[in-house]
Amino acid sequence: MLNILVVDDSLIIRKNIKKYITNLGHSIAGEAKNGSMAIEQCKDLKPDLITMDITMPDMDGITAVKKIREFNSKTNIIMITSHGQEEMVVNSLKAGAQGYLLKPINEEKLAQAIANIYQEYTQDLDDELLDDDELLDD
Amino acid sequence: MNNIEETASLEHEILSPLIQRSISFLKDDLEIDVISENIDIISPKKIKLKKNTAMLGTGGSIQVLITMGYDDRLLDKIVEAFLEGEEIEEEELEEIQESVSCEVVNTIVGNALKNPLDGTTLGITPPILISEAKSLFRQKSSQIASATIKTEFGEMLLTAIGPKELFSKKLNFKEL
Repeated sequence: MLNILVVDDSLIIRKNIKKYITNLGHSIAGEAKNGSMAIEQCKDLKPDLITMDITMPDMDGITAVKKIREFNSKTNIIMITSHGQEEMVVNSLKAGAQGYLLKPINEEKLAQAIANIYQEYTQDLDDELLDDDELLDD
Repeated sequence: MNNIEETASLEHEILSPLIQRSISFLKDDLEIDVISENIDIISPKKIKLKKNTAMLGTGGSIQVLITMGYDDRLLDKIVEAFLEGEEIEEEELEEIQESVSCEVVNTIVGNALKNPLDGTTLGITPPILISEAKSLFRQKSSQIASATIKTEFGEMLLTAIGPKELFSKKLNFKEL
């Protein structure tokens, strides 16, 4: 089960994402309406995963991700945005996000985005354990 | 470039993709029937806004304002679709309606808008609600393009407002 921070300036989107997260068996770490609040919440709550909107007032999602990466490299981040433009995807990943989800979102899309990240994470862990086993065998 | 070409650019390169994405969003994502898919784009001097109207701006090499307004019944239906069957408290309704109005314009514009000028990313501002304004008037240095999408639950009014010289002569997408 993951503890997830939801960041979006839209009330209806925060409401729906929280519902999907709960339905998928994860828990809500907290919620934030803009990038500045997201940074503070990330420091205080140390979530496993953040869903981060890009277009927000005060501080946008890409800037927030860059600032979060200055003190936290462990929390996974999925950008959730209406922008389908390739440059926006590249900028998000460069900033330090692991995934990208195009609006309109639904439970299935969110589940897939989370699975994609944690499949890679599990694979990395498996590879590390395999390496450790090989060292022990040696 | 003459005025007709400039207006055509705002209509065809900005408003047309928004109309197409609005129709597919209403039909496919919200399951709301669109009565006619042949939408006329007009370039009026004045636009009367709907009571429920949200607006955002694009940033980057093309800067236009885009408004989306909905009839009451249509907004109710869109809100119902967004809520996916979830019950809400009466006191939450207005805030949810505002949030949904803004979310629809954000999603449609973000999904639809490509930069026809130079391929660079077009940013969009966070949407805002226009609650008091009743009309938009075209000024000498601006142009307005507008279209109405008719659905089974009422109308959606799309408007794009931009500077008169939206595209430079050299980079006009229509000439590529």
